[in-house]
Amino acid sequence: MYTIGIDIGSVTAKGALMSDGALVSSQVCFTGYNTAATARSIYEGLLEKEGLKETSIEGIVATGYGRNSVPFADRTVTEIMCHAAGAYHLNPAVRAVIDIGGQDSKAIVLSDGGRVANFVMNDKCAAGTGRFLEVMARALEVDLDQFGTLSLQADQPAKISNLCAVFAESEVVSLIAKGEKRENIIAGIHAAIGSRVMAMTGRLGMWGVTTLMMTGGVAKNTGVVKALEKVWGNPIHVSPHAQLTGAIGAARLARVAGSPE
Amino acid sequence: MSDIKLELDKRKTKLEKKMQNIMAGYYIDAKMARQNNKKVAWITSGGPVEPLLAMDVIAVYPENHGAMIGASKMGVDLCEKAEAMGYSSDLCSYARADIACCTVNGGPIGGLPEPDMLVCCNNICGSVMKWYEVQARHFKVPLFIYDTPVCHTDYTPEMKRYVEAQTREYFQFLEHETGRKMDIDRLKEIGKNSVEGAQLWQETLDTTMSRPSPMTAFDAFFHLALIVTLRGTPQTLEYYRELRDLMKERSQAGIGAVPKETYRLLWDNLPIWHRMKWLSDKFAEHGACLVADTYTSAWCGIKRELNRDDVIASAAEGYTYSYLNLGTDKMAELVLTMVDKYQVDGIVMHSNRSCRPYSFGQYDLQKIVEREKGIPSLMIEADMVDDRSFSESQVATRIEAFIEMLRQRKGA
Amino acid sequence: MKHLEEFRQVVNQSFGYARQLKKDSGKKIVGYVCSYTPEEVILAAGAHPLRILGTKETIHLADSHLQSYCCSLVRGILEEGLSGRVDFLDGMVFPHTCDSVQRLSDIWRMNIPFGFHLDLILPVKLDTLSAQHYMVDVLQKFRTDLGRALQVDITDEALKKAIRTTNAIRQSIRAIYELRSRNPRLMTGTDLYTLVRASMIMDRDRLNILLAETVAELKVKADREKEDTSLKRIILAGGICNHPDIYPMIENAGGAVVWDDFCTGARYFTELIDEGAEPIARIAGRLINRVVCPAKHIDLDGRARHIIRLVKEKNARGVIFLLLKFCDPHAFDYPDIKKSMDEAGIPVMLLEIDDPIPAEGQLKTRFEAFLEML
Ligand code: SF4
Ligand code: SF4
Ligand code: SF4
Repeated sequence: MYTIGIDIGSVTAKGALMSDGALVSSQVCFTGYNTAATARSIYEGLLEKEGLKETSIEGIVATGYGRNSVPFADRTVTEIMCHAAGAYHLNPAVRAVIDIGGQDSKAIVLSDGGRVANFVMNDKCAAGTGRFLEVMARALEVDLDQFGTLSLQADQPAKISNLCAVFAESEVVSLIAKGEKRENIIAGIHAAIGSRVMAMTGRLGMWGVTTLMMTGGVAKNTGVVKALEKVWGNPIHVSPHAQLTGAIGAARLARVAGSPE
Repeated sequence: MSDIKLELDKRKTKLEKKMQNIMAGYYIDAKMARQNNKKVAWITSGGPVEPLLAMDVIAVYPENHGAMIGASKMGVDLCEKAEAMGYSSDLCSYARADIACCTVNGGPIGGLPEPDMLVCCNNICGSVMKWYEVQARHFKVPLFIYDTPVCHTDYTPEMKRYVEAQTREYFQFLEHETGRKMDIDRLKEIGKNSVEGAQLWQETLDTTMSRPSPMTAFDAFFHLALIVTLRGTPQTLEYYRELRDLMKERSQAGIGAVPKETYRLLWDNLPIWHRMKWLSDKFAEHGACLVADTYTSAWCGIKRELNRDDVIASAAEGYTYSYLNLGTDKMAELVLTMVDKYQVDGIVMHSNRSCRPYSFGQYDLQKIVEREKGIPSLMIEADMVDDRSFSESQVATRIEAFIEMLRQRKGA
Repeated sequence: MKHLEEFRQVVNQSFGYARQLKKDSGKKIVGYVCSYTPEEVILAAGAHPLRILGTKETIHLADSHLQSYCCSLVRGILEEGLSGRVDFLDGMVFPHTCDSVQRLSDIWRMNIPFGFHLDLILPVKLDTLSAQHYMVDVLQKFRTDLGRALQVDITDEALKKAIRTTNAIRQSIRAIYELRSRNPRLMTGTDLYTLVRASMIMDRDRLNILLAETVAELKVKADREKEDTSLKRIILAGGICNHPDIYPMIENAGGAVVWDDFCTGARYFTELIDEGAEPIARIAGRLINRVVCPAKHIDLDGRARHIIRLVKEKNARGVIFLLLKFCDPHAFDYPDIKKSMDEAGIPVMLLEIDDPIPAEGQLKTRFEAFLEML
């Protein structure tokens, strides 16, 4: 039984094709302007790669910001549910999920059965989102992909205390002017995001949670993961499929049509 | 069934029309005050209005005006004007909109009638005092501040002496401004009506205890206008009697405000005036009914047992011991009572950038409700008037995710 | 300056200092959040008053309790509590000021396990007789509450003694301000900031001695040194200032801060307390007559008049307003004060700051541009 999950995020669009609970194939591309067309091409890409026909797909769930512009989906589910379902699928011990997305970040607590017990999202502010990282990468003229490795070479993380992306950007600029090491600045940025995101999860009260998984594209940034671990005080599992987690969750949820199980 | 529904719906529409007419008449009266030799006072929403009515002073509420500005989506324009005047965009948007409105006479009703005096009661926040100071300088009219010390934990004997003394000073102030004597019997009469109005309002809100609920918080936000602006008048009593009866009949007939009511939610903080319809549809779409809210219940009064014959003492305590003037834990207790009373499945909290006394403490409130009642809550970041701090797609996702979660929880 | 190093150490290690003081003297330490707290009552109880003024550390714990649109002062104070960095406090006093502090008090009471918690619900208006009575009433209540919390009897004698101490402190700081206003070269703005800040942290008796000696030292220096008339004299205004870094920026741009209107500055020492019978009533008198903070109401244009008077008196060329982001009382006052300044022909610059202050480069340019304009 094949199912497909399509996750249209604000920056990237992801697709996952699953068969009986196993990931068969995936697609990632930029979301672009025409979300419907992007969704279509992901869908067709998945079918083509596996040589499948539309009729062999038993369920399609769309998620992410663009979930409502996927006309061929059977239903839509929010990314909160999908990340939870995806993380739980990848590791049933997971009881909390952190996803730092482009526009917002979320923390989700799962019940023993993998249901969403509670969640919080960042308040209306770019701090603690992928957007914050992008702004900083631009200010530093460093490729975002290098952030993780560079930050591990820091000797003394710089202090970034502003929450607001605009203020923090000028803080970073002045650190550069002062001649602060790039590695230290990046580590400081990660620490700022780490404490911001953990403050948000603090609102959830994650008492007793021992297994926490980080999903989403930012999970690939080891610097952020380390910073989160430092504040949380425990190791964090990184989703092996990072940014695909939402799409995997969507494909899982597509298995049981009609209800979000 | 559908016949009854049709008839009741018709009556509801008629009542809404009536409300609009009363409000229109009220604003026309206020605007004609000068011609009719009447004085106009601007007063804060939680302020002691009964003495004004007893003195035949027309009471005008800038906050109600702010709500109208928000609902008619004129908020951003006016807020930007205030910012151009130097007012920070972080200030309460009611204040910003109102301050700008005075200089341009803009807004949905072409500005409020100019005040002859200002009455500011700080039982809702400290911002109103600063805002009224601005207006007192602008209009060069006297300002009376009715200072209600915060009851973090109690209403103390020191506060009682202070507020009671101010109540007397307030009467003197009005006597001086109007050149008339305060008629205590008339004031008592009005006070009685006010209390009765609050009672009727509470009864109306309580009709939502039935399943399905005959009205939503969005209806309450709409019907609130009279208890804010015209409480203490017979017209208001008549209106709320009608409304209460209508809602009772709807509930007896099993007519819900939301088709297929599945989830019962409680709203916290001010309404998001510029997205009422959108939000109302969003929740209804998922079978979620906002059966109660902390905002409109604030006008029901918390202290019921006051001795209304002692006008001074009961006014002082009633106006001081009011919802936003209490400690966060006291507010949480009231929310917990509402959770039980209205049998709610979750809370929707509007984290309102404009209103610090209402919004700070919500994170703690959230935890208390989760801990005590096992009920989750959803946080929506917005502003009641300034829709620049609102993102439809973000809010839509959160609402949907919240409902999905409630569904899972219910299934579990 | 002989004692500068000691002041510096106290400011840099404020909590370490307080911990040590507690250990050495056995005194109870009582924290407070606003300059309307009557230090005298705390002193008279034999305890040590410590003003908590935001945090220098990164704020993250407080973010689980307060939204991002709360001023950094309030968020910072809560952070110090939640992090346990101030767990040596025997109690904390929250005078009623603004909406944010009002909720801070609740959140503190509900979440901080150590020390007692006292609300001091001062009147918001100060201009009526009933408000003045209430001020006395509520200070009496505070005296009782604090006495109970600390298990001491706060006597009139002790209050009178405390009044003498704080009066002497205020007089010394005022004298230093005045000397320095005549000749800003006597002492840098940062050093003056350090001294004032230390006076909210240090043992008040020790402070009193150090201040008196500093005044004497500065007097001698003032007689020797010639005044520098080339400096562009500036007044800083706003709520609190916890940003010593801005003084050198202004000084490097050719300016000198010759006075301020901060509650962490000149508003702290304006108005002495009458010494005499009924000390509580006299403390109340000071709180009513001191230069007003915008979170309180005494009249409609007093603050504008006060700042204009300062400009004239201190012969200043302009005013820089430092407003903390998300601080409503100050933000509400600003436009009309600015209007009055414009009418009086006084140049004004507004700096909206979040803790920490904006990037140095940008700030420097703004100060330079403003001073060039004068
Ligand atoms: S919205 Fe809040 S801040 Fe604004 S006037 Fe009302 S209570 Fe005050
Ligand atoms: S600015 Fe006013 S309210 Fe704030 S700490 Fe100073 S005196 Fe208190
Ligand atoms: S007066 Fe302003 S700076 Fe002081 S605590 Fe209140 S909001 Fe913050």
